[in-house]
Parts: sequence; structure tokens; C-alpha cells
Amino acid sequence: MDEKEIALAQIRKTVTENPVVLYMKGTPQFPQCGFSGRAAQVLRACGLNNYVAVNVLEDEGAWNYLPAYADFPTFPQCYINGELIGGSDIMAAMYEQGELQELIEKATATAQ
Amino acid sequence: MKTTPQNVEDFIQQGLPCEYIRVEGDGRHFDAVIVSPDFEGKGMLQQHKLVYQVLGDRMERIHALSMKTMTPAQWAKQQ
Repeated sequence: MDEKEIALAQIRKTVTENPVVLYMKGTPQFPQCGFSGRAAQVLRACGLNNYVAVNVLEDEGAWNYLPAYADFPTFPQCYINGELIGGSDIMAAMYEQGELQELIEKATATAQ
Repeated sequence: MKTTPQNVEDFIQQGLPCEYIRVEGDGRHFDAVIVSPDFEGKGMLQQHKLVYQVLGDRMERIHALSMKTMTPAQWAKQQ
């Protein structure tokens, strides 16, 4: 497998094996970009603390190939049950409508 | 060459018919309100993907874009 296939396989594995994954710049505690910080804040507001956060500034495979995997060019990217939810705008809008909480509850309930 | 809000508006409108568009920004971070009939029947994620596809590689000149996308009907309701 070449670099791209390895990275795409790793992404697929991460997003399918974990109910909630946030690819972001930095970490939830130390976000390196306003949008990534906002995304982590929204997940915290949903009462979610144990989720997989991938720092794309330290994961070259994700940095280079996640945009192609998702057909979505920017970070952060939130995945629930392997599906791209979107960036921080969409996460915030879904949170305001209560949709994000519902999705997370369903995803984390089945994961136990 | 710094990208202006007007540039971003033009980039979007070149590929997407907009009933209303407003972009503000400081040259790196931009906030856009985009109302287009092409958003009909699409979820928020698909609407944002459509805008990114229209912008294409110009996204490199737009460090960060925050978007509020609406159909004309949603926009009318908000007026």
C-alpha cells in the first residue's frame, strides 16, 4: 500500500471503530485554531468528554488525506458513527437545534 | 495579495446563483451568509460542500470561512 492508502485505511479504521471522532488543529485542552476550539467546546457542551480527538497538526496522514477522504477541505471535522457531521458551523447549528446531542446519545449508547 | 470580502463574494457568485450574499472578514477569516436556490433539498453539510466545491483551490487564499447557508424560503422566514 502507498502512503495515501495507508492514511485512508487509518482514517476509515478510526472513524468506524469510535462512536465520536474529532479531527482538529491542536487538542481539546489546547486548540490551535478558533474553529477547532469551538468544535471541542460544542462536544463538551453535549456532556461528552471521552471521545477520540486527532490532532491533524501531528498526524500527517490525516492532514494530507482527510480532505480527500471526506470530500470536505477544511478542519475541524467531526464524525459520529463513521459519518462526517461537518465543521464547527454545522456542529454549532445542530447543537442549537438539539440534533447533535441526540446523535451523540444514540452513538455512545450503542457503543457501550 | 490580500483577499477581500468582495473577492470572496465574487468567487462564490461565479459558481452559485445567490439570491443574497454577504461576506465580512479581515483578509484571513471570513463570515458568509449565502442564500441560494441550489441549496433546496440539501442538508447543511451538502450545502457547505457545494460552496467549497465552487470555491475550489481559492480556499487556499481563504484561511478560514464560517458559513450560514440558507434556501430562499428559509431566508424569507428570517426577514
